[in-house]
Amino acid sequence: MISRMDLSILELEWGRKNNMAEKKIKDANGVEFELNKDDFTFVQKDEKIHDTKFETKPTTFAKDAFKRFCKNKSSVVASFIIGIIVIFSIFVPIFSNGNVSQNLPEQRYLEPKLFDAGTGFWDGTKNFKDIPYDVVDEVPVGFKKNAVVKITKKEDHFTNLPSNNSHGGSLKIVATQGSDIQYIYNYASFELNSEDSVELDIKFNNVDGLNGKIGKYQIFLSRSPSRTGTRYALTELKNSYEDLSINLSEFIASKSITNIPKAYIQIEIPQDQADEQYILINSLTLSSKSNNVELDDLLKEISIDDASAQCMIEPNTDLTFPNTYWRCSGRKEVYQAVLSKVSFVYDYYEAQLGLQENFRIGKSILEEYISKGWCSYDFEIGPSSFVKLSDKCPIEKIHSEIEFVSEYMQSTDYVCDVIMYKYKGYKSMPKFILGTDILGRDLFTFSLKALRTSLLLAVIVSAINFIIGLVWGSISGYFGGNIDLFMERFCDILGGVPFVVVITLTILVLGNNLGTFALALCLTGWMGTAARTRTQFYRFKGREYILAARTLGASDKRLIFKHILPNSMGTIITSVVLMIPGVIFSEASIAYLGLGLKGVDSFGVLLSNYQSTYSTHPMLIIFPSIIISLLMISFNLFGNGLRDALNPSLKGSE
Amino acid sequence: MWKYVLKRIGLAIITAFIILSITFLLMKTLPFQMPIGTDKEKFSYFSQQVYLGYVNDFMTANESAGKLLWSYKDGANQWHYYYEVPSFTQYFRWLGNIITKWDWGTSTVISKNLSAINIIGRRLPVSMLLNIISTIFAVPLGIILGIVAALKKNKPTDHIISTLVMVLISIPSFILITFLLLLLCYRTSWLPSKWPSVTAPIGQRILGFIIPVLSLSLGSIAGYCRFTRAELCEVMESDYLLLARTKGLTKRQAIIRHALRNAMVPIVPSILAEFLSIMSGSMILENLYGIPGIGSLFIEALNINNPDYNVLFVDMAVFTTFGLLAGVLLDISYGFIDPRIRMGAKK
Repeated sequence: MISRMDLSILELEWGRKNNMAEKKIKDANGVEFELNKDDFTFVQKDEKIHDTKFETKPTTFAKDAFKRFCKNKSSVVASFIIGIIVIFSIFVPIFSNGNVSQNLPEQRYLEPKLFDAGTGFWDGTKNFKDIPYDVVDEVPVGFKKNAVVKITKKEDHFTNLPSNNSHGGSLKIVATQGSDIQYIYNYASFELNSEDSVELDIKFNNVDGLNGKIGKYQIFLSRSPSRTGTRYALTELKNSYEDLSINLSEFIASKSITNIPKAYIQIEIPQDQADEQYILINSLTLSSKSNNVELDDLLKEISIDDASAQCMIEPNTDLTFPNTYWRCSGRKEVYQAVLSKVSFVYDYYEAQLGLQENFRIGKSILEEYISKGWCSYDFEIGPSSFVKLSDKCPIEKIHSEIEFVSEYMQSTDYVCDVIMYKYKGYKSMPKFILGTDILGRDLFTFSLKALRTSLLLAVIVSAINFIIGLVWGSISGYFGGNIDLFMERFCDILGGVPFVVVITLTILVLGNNLGTFALALCLTGWMGTAARTRTQFYRFKGREYILAARTLGASDKRLIFKHILPNSMGTIITSVVLMIPGVIFSEASIAYLGLGLKGVDSFGVLLSNYQSTYSTHPMLIIFPSIIISLLMISFNLFGNGLRDALNPSLKGSE
Repeated sequence: MWKYVLKRIGLAIITAFIILSITFLLMKTLPFQMPIGTDKEKFSYFSQQVYLGYVNDFMTANESAGKLLWSYKDGANQWHYYYEVPSFTQYFRWLGNIITKWDWGTSTVISKNLSAINIIGRRLPVSMLLNIISTIFAVPLGIILGIVAALKKNKPTDHIISTLVMVLISIPSFILITFLLLLLCYRTSWLPSKWPSVTAPIGQRILGFIIPVLSLSLGSIAGYCRFTRAELCEVMESDYLLLARTKGLTKRQAIIRHALRNAMVPIVPSILAEFLSIMSGSMILENLYGIPGIGSLFIEALNINNPDYNVLFVDMAVFTTFGLLAGVLLDISYGFIDPRIRMGAKK
């Protein structure tokens, strides 16, 4: 197609070379074609087009603005984001199954979960590193076994500190300086019979130079705990640390004693003045070959097989010594106990909402389950009669009944194994896609609900500010003169008060609720709109078309509403739209100052609450931060687009 | 010009006076704040209030004097019954106290029986220092980035800078602080997570400046950058720059000698004004990072369960004064920097 520009050039060329009847011409695309003089006609030679209709459709201001707005891609994207966030904040809290108004401590601080546990990504699990491992129960200390998804690394460390979680090692018996001889003996005595064939096996460790010197030792068999009673030396004072095995029964038989009713083993370490002396015992085993089960058990208990556990018992609490305890006049220490540390993946959902052992539920709840047909239970027979009938039943097993009678009521509780999520009314294990907070509220639902409050507040405040500002600015700008001067000074004074001061005073004087908050935000908030409106009125009121309207006898009302306001509306509306993020921001700032909205969950209060736990639970602050940042950025972009779109001077421009 | 300056300053003083008066009267409508502490401390506080004329001291209970605030039997077995003086009487006495004794009241909670002005005096230097440092960083960086963006207008450099500026301007400051803390303190533990105390080693104290300065200056950098870019873009399209180029100046010469100079006209006053207005400190930053400045003082004094009204009031007065001064400075500096602008001129 040949554009008008091309044609005019062609015409020029034609004029220059019109002695030629025909001419081959190349157009922009390199296609050759021929042109004759007859191909050209005048567009409007004898036509009168001033009373014909426009062929193009007339456009309205709004349509044109919308067209221009759509050209600004970033604004369109921003408005979509705003739309999505607003729709989410309205509908998610309504349709979400997560309960956010109740305090549910069972599901507090759950990790974000979208997929099933064990998939490794966004699955509600958390990685733990180097946590002490309980070898006996095969579970990291302080965690639940069924919630450990997998153990990724297991390492053994040696420690010289007694710890509940370490095991093994050598018992280090230290003769402290100051007294001549230190000794250790078993606190619980045992009956030694010459026929029982009681065997004493001691395994020593011979590491020297651990804060002192490895010393000599002597082992006695004693009739009393004290060193001064009757006793028999089992060995000489020696410093060889080979394994030792003594048959105590044979020993007393050789001394022609048949029975020692209270036998004690004593190990003595003489004190050297220069260094601290110590010996290391890997194990001290007492065993018998008799058929006496009681004696066997007792000897097993007395035996030292775990130095770490020996050292954990507090030496000076006299009352409740376990039988295993060995008393020492010097100091007991542990040497090279094994502390296992594991790294593992832990599923908080399973831990908190999975199977809970020994959970107490009331009788009425159990009756409710029975009436629903989920389980059967005979109150006469007791726990053994429990039968689980349906998969919906939260109770897995009933252990026992606890009856308690108080002054006001009598009731029965049942100690059961309960599957927590079923007990809490979930059909399956819930998935909180962004986790939960300290009160067990679903972060996703709760933050959107809080955002709804803030958005509502922002819209209300912006609307009020818009109305007040428009009226104030119109009066001030239209009438001018002394009225304007007075109104401006008033704004100066009110605007001079720092915002924090205004909000503080309002909240201190009137209390803290949604109404007061809106009032405080409106007290000075309208001045921005007022100033903008006033400027717009000043700009337009001197224009010729206003003068013309006035000359025609238009009233003030008509001038304001028909001539000035429509022209200035674009700027004013932009400023009002931009006020919405401003209000959300102000609300959040005030919450950070500790004056946050009370009684309602607002976004600022949520942010400032989560602020205190961001070192331990960063996710709680990250998601709301992203939402508010996204909202702010989008509103700014949207506002920019709107300003350009509503600018009347850009009307019709491409 | 001078007449205009004097007029503006005078107006600012009057405005400040009206604001402070309204604030004082509003504060007096709040319930009376009892000082905390032993009876002896309370007695000394009340004696001072009586001396300042805010509280009446009667020997016997006086029903007609209003609500009884506190009663106390002193060492000489003498009873004191304290009643509040009517608000307007207090207001005039307060004015008198400020004019004659420069007495702005005494702290009731934060540092008991210490003059509120003293407390502000102790807290102000930290806030000022932080703001001075962050301005030193923010102004050149912001302006340079703005110039770069303007000179490379509509090129990738400009797009990157503009997007960053957009993001930084939109993100609320408290979010920025939180993310800085998360990244630099908790994830990596490079920096102290709280403002180091005076006794901390000097290296630690210097590191402690990084987060406050970063969070104060990032927003300012974005602001200056956007402002400079807008101004410079406008100037670059002006006729006199075209003239300068046609005269034969290189692009570099034209930009440095003509464009930049003119673009700086609205920027410099805004720097002055912002410098003054952030002098009062960022409350949220000081609160979150535990900086003992006047911003965090405000929040401490505002503790809803136990407010310290006198300190709060002086703090508000400081904010108000700084805010008004910034406005005045902004207007006046236009006239000094660009002689073409005659502020307040009639025609």
